[in-house]
Amino acid sequence: MAVTPGGPTISGLTEAEAKEFHGIFITSFIVFTVIAIIAHFLAWQWRPWLPGPNGYATSWLTDAPGLISHAISTLV
Amino acid sequence: MWRIWLLFDPRRVLVALSVFLFTLALLIHFILLSTDRFNWLEGAHHGATAAQMAPLPPTAK
Repeated sequence: MAVTPGGPTISGLTEAEAKEFHGIFITSFIVFTVIAIIAHFLAWQWRPWLPGPNGYATSWLTDAPGLISHAISTLV
Repeated sequence: MWRIWLLFDPRRVLVALSVFLFTLALLIHFILLSTDRFNWLEGAHHGATAAQMAPLPPTAK
């Protein structure tokens, strides 16, 4: 086992091992996040989960112009 | 940032993260299945309760 310059660490890993594991961890995290973003995009296309003021017929994201005109008509 | 692995044992972190994410995913999927709008297996249950509470047809003797 390699010797850590700063002495033994709490986890028992050397700095080189920590850096190597960190690279793998970050790569895995990015892959996981990209898959999650794709899944959420597809799920939103299927059925948006944030209803507008008139229920699911209008949504905050898919019908922004209609939402703004509705807000204006409510205020005026 | 990589110095976090000098503090926390990667093996324990991976196990904890896996268990947490799996439990969270299971919880979210069951919550979605329990709703009408997001149940992707059976769709909305319109009148399902009423049908269950309806009396049985009379049996022929």
